[in-house]
Amino acid sequence: MPISSLVLTLDASPQLRALALSEVARDPRITVGPPLEERWLPVVTETASLSEGESLAASLRELPGVSFVDVVRVDFSEEER
Amino acid sequence: MDRRDFLKGTAMTAATLAASRLAYGQERAAAEPASGDGVQWNKAPCRFCGTGCHVQVGVRGGKVVVIAGDQKAPVNKGLLCVKGYHVGLALYGGDRLTTPLLRKGDNQVPISWDEALDIIARRVLKDPKGFGVYGSGQWTIPEGYTASKFVKGGLGTHQLDANARLCMASAVTGFLATYGVDEPAGCYDDLDACDVLIMWGNNPAEMHPVLFSRVIDRRSRGEKVTLIDIGTRKTRTSGFCDHSLRFKPNTDLAIACGIAHLLVENGTYDKAFIEANCAFRAPSTPPTLEGKAITFEEYRELLKPYTPEKVEEISGVSAKDLRMLAGLFGRRDVRITSLWCMGMNQHTRGTAINNLVHGLHLLSGHFGKPGDAPTSLTGQPSACGTVREVGTLAHALPGGRVVAKAEHRAQMEEIWNLPKGRVSDKIGYHTVEMWKRFSTPTEQGGDIHTLWVQVTNPAQTLPNTHKLVDPSRKLADKFLIVSDVYPSATTRIADLVLPSAMWVEKNGMVGNSERRTQQWFKMVNPPGQARDDAWQLIAVAHRLFELGFEGMKDKDGRFLFEVKGRDGKPVPIWDFAHYYDVNVDEHLFEEYRKTTRIKHKDLAPYQEYVKARGLRWPVVQQPDGSWRETRFRFAGFDDPYVKKGRDIQFYHSTTHDDRAQIWFSPYEPPPESPDTEFPFWLCTGRVIEHWHSGTMTTRIPQLRRAMPQAYVEMNSADARRLGVSNGEQVTVETRRGKLDLPVWIGGRGEPVEGSLFVPFFDERLLINGLTLDEHDPFSKQPDYKKCAARVRRRERVAEKQG
Ligand code: SF4
Repeated sequence: MPISSLVLTLDASPQLRALALSEVARDPRITVGPPLEERWLPVVTETASLSEGESLAASLRELPGVSFVDVVRVDFSEEER
Repeated sequence: MDRRDFLKGTAMTAATLAASRLAYGQERAAAEPASGDGVQWNKAPCRFCGTGCHVQVGVRGGKVVVIAGDQKAPVNKGLLCVKGYHVGLALYGGDRLTTPLLRKGDNQVPISWDEALDIIARRVLKDPKGFGVYGSGQWTIPEGYTASKFVKGGLGTHQLDANARLCMASAVTGFLATYGVDEPAGCYDDLDACDVLIMWGNNPAEMHPVLFSRVIDRRSRGEKVTLIDIGTRKTRTSGFCDHSLRFKPNTDLAIACGIAHLLVENGTYDKAFIEANCAFRAPSTPPTLEGKAITFEEYRELLKPYTPEKVEEISGVSAKDLRMLAGLFGRRDVRITSLWCMGMNQHTRGTAINNLVHGLHLLSGHFGKPGDAPTSLTGQPSACGTVREVGTLAHALPGGRVVAKAEHRAQMEEIWNLPKGRVSDKIGYHTVEMWKRFSTPTEQGGDIHTLWVQVTNPAQTLPNTHKLVDPSRKLADKFLIVSDVYPSATTRIADLVLPSAMWVEKNGMVGNSERRTQQWFKMVNPPGQARDDAWQLIAVAHRLFELGFEGMKDKDGRFLFEVKGRDGKPVPIWDFAHYYDVNVDEHLFEEYRKTTRIKHKDLAPYQEYVKARGLRWPVVQQPDGSWRETRFRFAGFDDPYVKKGRDIQFYHSTTHDDRAQIWFSPYEPPPESPDTEFPFWLCTGRVIEHWHSGTMTTRIPQLRRAMPQAYVEMNSADARRLGVSNGEQVTVETRRGKLDLPVWIGGRGEPVEGSLFVPFFDERLLINGLTLDEHDPFSKQPDYKKCAARVRRRERVAEKQG
C-alpha cells in the first residue's frame, strides 16, 4: 500500500478551485491537508500499488481546477515488503 | 499509532512542507528567538549549501536545541530552507565517530590520538612528496589555510586539492579567462533588481532555495520578473519559469553562440560598452587559458555558422526561443541576471561555456549595474572562501596567488617566514590525477602513497570510483586517512579514521557565493575525542617538528604554526587541552588576511566579522575607521578599486588594459554520447533534502524520511516503452558499472525522453561508480552531467543470468 505525498497547485479561479477541492475530497484514497494561500494543497495518497498511485497522480493532473501536481515523496517501503 | 498512520503522518508533513515552500518560497520565517528560557543564542552560517544563510543557534545544557532563521542576516532575512531548519540535528546522529580507528585486517580498532599522530607522521617521513591532502569546500577558511600552509609551506609540495575541483573549478577558469581574477562581480542583491533571471542548467528552487524564494517573493509582491530556465531536464525551478527551454546535453555552447550571433547580426550588441571595456578572444593552439586575440570582425565570422536554425538543429531549442533570448539581451531597458552552478561547471567544456555566458553579458552591456550580472553559484558553504580565496588547489597559493609565478611563491615564503625556495615550483596533481595516482601501483607511476581526506567523502563523490578509488584498496603500500564526523563510504575503506568536530562544535569562518565572509564561535563540545580538523593538521605538523622535520620549522627554527598568548609565550595549541586557550582561528585568519590584497580580495580584521552577518570582499577601511564591503565589483559606483570617474574598470584584465575578454568557443560533441548499446543520457545531481553525499542529512530523521533513497528519474514515454512502472527496480548501466534503482516517473524532476537522472546522496546506491572521469582540459573538473547509459528491467536481467 504505497503512500505518496503530493502538492496540488490549484487554479486562480475560485469556482474551478472549489470544483477540484470537492473532487479530491470525494476520493477515499486521498487525505487532504490544509490549503496554503488557498492555492497550494498538500495531499497524501494511499493506493494498492505504485502503478495505481501513478495513475491517480496522472488523473489529478487532468482534473479541472488543478494546474500542477508536484510529487514530493513516494514511500516505497510498503511495496517492498 | 500504527506504522501506517505514522507513514501517513510523515507523508502529510512532507507534503505540507513542500506546499509551504511553494506558497511562500520556503517555510515560514521563524520568530525572533525568545530568550529567558535558558537557551543561549548565537549566530552561525548554515552548515550546508553555498547560499550562506545565517541561523540563530539556541543552546541549552551544552546541546543545540533550537534553530531559527536569522532576521538580521541580509542573505536570508530570517528564512531558511528545509535543510537549514534541521541543521542543528546534523550534530546528533547516533553513530558519530568519537575515537581514532586503525584498520587491522578486516576491522577498524580504536587507538589513541597519540598513536594516530605518530602513524601519520611516519607516513609523511616515508616520502613527503607522495603524501597528499584532499580537502573540501566545506573546510572552514582557517582549516583550509592550515592545510595550505602544512602542505605548501611545510611539506614543500603542492599535493593538495579540494573537492571544489568537482563543483566550481570551471567557474574559476571562466572568471580568470574573462576578467583575469576569480569570483563574481555581482551579488545576491542582483536578484532583487533584475527584470530577467536566466538560470543556465541551474535548479535554485532546490539547490539554492532561499535565493530562489527572494525572486519568487518579488513576484508575489506584484513585481514582474521574467524567469527563464535553460536546462536538460524539467526541475522544480522550471515550474516557476515563464520560459522553460530544453536542450540536448552538451549543446549549451551552441545556444550561447547562437545568441551572440543574433546580437552581432542584428546590431543589438552594446557597441559603446565593448569599445570602452572589452576585447575578443578565441581558442589558441595549443590551448591555453589566455587563448588568442581576435578582432570583432573575426569574432563575427566565427559566429556566422550559429544561425538560429542551425542552433535549433544542434541543441533542440527552437529558433523562436533563441530569438526571444537574443531579443532580451539586445534590450537596454531590462536588467538581466544569469545564474549557474554545476550544470555549466561539471562539463568537459565547462570553461568554454562559462566564458560564453560572461561574453553574452559583456557583448550586450548587461554588466555592472544592480540586476545586470553573470553570477556563478557555489554548491558548498566555503567553496569560494576556503578553496578559491585560500587557494587549496594543486596549482594555487593563498590570496589568488599561483604556484607558477616565482614572485607569488616568494611572497608566501615571506608571509610564512620560510627559507627561500621552500615553496616548490612544481604544481601538484588535480583531484582526478591525484586519485588516479593513488590507485596506481607505485612501480607503475602511482607516486601518491598516502592521502589524508578531510571534510569530504570521495569514495561516494568522485567520478568513476571503480577506477579512481577502489584499486587503491587492494594495493598494500597505499594508505588512506580520513577525518570525518560520521561513518561514510570513505571512512569504511580507510586505513585510519579520525573523528572530527563539526560546525558549531568548533570556531569557524566560511565564504559564500557572493564573496561574503562569515564567522561563528564554538558553542558546544564535540562528542568523545572528536577534534577540530585544523587541530589535527597542526598536531601532525608539531609531531613532525618534534621529529626534526625541517619543513615544519620557519627560517628562524620556530614551529610553523606557532601562536603566542597575551604573555608573548607560545601556546601549546598542538595539545588539544590548550587548543582553545587562544582563538586559533583568529590567529590563522589574521595571517591569511595579509595574503588577500594582491587580487583586491581584501578582508577586514577578524573582529569585524564577529559583529557582522558576513561582509563581501573587498572590504576596505574608510577614513572614519569603519570597514566597507563591496557589492558590485568593477563598477565605479561601488567598487573602491575602480579609478574615480570610470563607470567600469576591469582592473585585473589579462591584457593589462582594463578590458574583459569576450570569448568565442565552438560547440563540440561530448566525449561520450548515447549509442545503440547505451542509448540513454545519464545525468546526476542533488535533491533539496540532502546535503551532497548525505553523510549529515541522512542522520536527520525528518530529511531521511522525506527523501529516503536514491532513484532513477525517467520520462514516462521511455518507461512505457520499456514496460516499467513507478517504483519498479531497474538496472542502470554504463561502460563503468551498473546499479539497481527504483524508477520514479513524473516526480519532482522530469528528464526528457532518452535521458535519466539519479541523485548522488544515497551511500547505499553509489551512482558515481557509473559516471565519467573525463574532465575539462583547463579546470580539470569532471563531467558528472552526461554519459551514456542503458536501463533494463530487473526481472529480465535475472532471466538472462538464470
Ligand atoms: S539555502 Fe542553503 S544555506 Fe540557506 S538554509 Fe538552505 S541549505 Fe542552508
